[in-house]
Amino acid sequence: MIALPLGILWFGGLVLAMMDGTRKLAGWLAVLVLAGAMFATMLVGISAYNNGVQTMAVGGWSMGVGITLRVDMLSIVFALLSQGVLLAALLFEVVNDVGARIFPALVLFMGLGLTGLVFTGDAFNFYVFFEISMISAYIMASYGESPRQFRAAFVFITVNLLGSVFFLIGIAAMYHTTGFLDMGRIRDQMPLVQENPAILTATIIFVAFSIKLGLFPFHFWLPAVYTGTRPSVSAILSGALANIGTYGLIRFGADIFPRELREAAPVLIALGTASIIYGAIQALSRHSTSEVLAYSAIGQVGYIMIALGIGGPAGYAAAVLYTVINSTNKALLFLSGSLRGWLAGAAFVIGAFSVAGVPPAVGFLSKMALFQVGIQDDQPLLVALIFLGGALSFVYMFQIYRRRTAEIEAQETSPWGVQVVVVLLALVVLGLGVWPDPLLNLAERAAQSLPQGQIP
Amino acid sequence: MILLFSLVISAMFAAGSYLMLKRDLIRLIAGMILIGNAANLFIMASGLRRGDAPILPIDGEGADPLVQAMVLTAIVISFAVAALALALVYRVYTSHYSVDLSRLAAAEEQQSERDEPETGDLRDDIYDDTEGTPNSDASEEGAP
Repeated sequence: MIALPLGILWFGGLVLAMMDGTRKLAGWLAVLVLAGAMFATMLVGISAYNNGVQTMAVGGWSMGVGITLRVDMLSIVFALLSQGVLLAALLFEVVNDVGARIFPALVLFMGLGLTGLVFTGDAFNFYVFFEISMISAYIMASYGESPRQFRAAFVFITVNLLGSVFFLIGIAAMYHTTGFLDMGRIRDQMPLVQENPAILTATIIFVAFSIKLGLFPFHFWLPAVYTGTRPSVSAILSGALANIGTYGLIRFGADIFPRELREAAPVLIALGTASIIYGAIQALSRHSTSEVLAYSAIGQVGYIMIALGIGGPAGYAAAVLYTVINSTNKALLFLSGSLRGWLAGAAFVIGAFSVAGVPPAVGFLSKMALFQVGIQDDQPLLVALIFLGGALSFVYMFQIYRRRTAEIEAQETSPWGVQVVVVLLALVVLGLGVWPDPLLNLAERAAQSLPQGQIP
Repeated sequence: MILLFSLVISAMFAAGSYLMLKRDLIRLIAGMILIGNAANLFIMASGLRRGDAPILPIDGEGADPLVQAMVLTAIVISFAVAALALALVYRVYTSHYSVDLSRLAAAEEQQSERDEPETGDLRDDIYDDTEGTPNSDASEEGAP
């Protein structure tokens, strides 16, 4: 049952890899497979919501011997988020005519990797799924096949391969210090490990995930890649693939290294602050839409880092909420920013308002959650910072919007089909903002699946 | 034995890092492969202990089979990624006629100076490319 979404995606990916993805039929088949996998994930999610953590040992091994799949609400939220963003980007490409025969299969394989790594309960298995999604992303980055895309793909593969190597070293270090690969058992053993090896291991893993996420000192690759790739690919990279970084930091940080995370909290908050300010200032000074969005992405992960640094039930819930909202925003903005026409323009405005945190859009919720966390934790500086970041993002979003309206008259409008896709995504952003209870509830439940995130 | 391992790992890591600082893309890939293999060796070292081959029936202390299984998986993955990266270098070469990093950086700067307005229409962009069909190579790179 738990393995069903993985099975659907795996099988669908294999079948589609043999088909010509540029045909409409193959594209729609990929959409259908992804939607089916999302439905299966929801089924798993419903049983995880009602009955708590779902576990399963794969391959018919007994528990404790075989690799385990372990699904809690945190996994479900991230799996649905990644699949949703992938589905939106895939729909966008299918309606707009896919340009490479491998593209739909790659989206499915990336979905497999992203779903697998949140479902698995085994550290090395996490690495394998992680690599499945990374390899799909490496190939996907060169989608479009112009010189610019190849350059972007090359930067992407070089930096992220180093990140993967760091993560592999971190896993080997965890295995050496605890003697286990199962994440649950590593968590039980970790308090017994001496302080220095534990801090070293935690730092290596933090660096590995920060590279994926594009946090401030590790952000150098991100603008070149996000501006160089096709809009749908940048939407996937920033909306789905970057979730690996957030999920990894929450899962490994809050679940396995809670002691080290608490000690490193000032560092996390400092890095997050640097990220917010750096991202906002750079975004203000850029001209093209994709560059502004890329730097804005660097700034937005800073908020997640701050929420993670504060910790506790409210902090983790805010981190999860912010990730969900940020990924949806980025997917919407990258997709709609590449289109011309009043429908796409309206969708873009909704996304821009959401990033700035203006009420009816869902971004307001995430800013609210952070405000609450800052006030609860009694940190007035933090509240001021969040307010400043929001104001700056409002300014740069307004700037690119004004530039777009100036451009629109000069260009013909994009096909209606694609515009409808981005409007649907914009309606999701708006709908979540108008009716926020389910999302807030899910984020709270996700935080409760962490040992430090339970309400005492 | 652990000392020897750590010496070898650090030497490989240092050589890989040195190569990664080069301007030549092929050397950069070679550096990436070296660093990847240093990590593989690190996994081996993390479960290193003396013992018989871990094949049933084991009498007495056996070696740790888990690290060997992990390393095997990691080697396969790094091999696949290295092949992919080399294929990408080839495509960079065919589109820029150079594998020198400074030339690529110059091309990137030219691009951003042009500051072309982006369009959502993919097809025009691809078929402007003079070399070959867009589909042939991508599918080969993607094959497992």
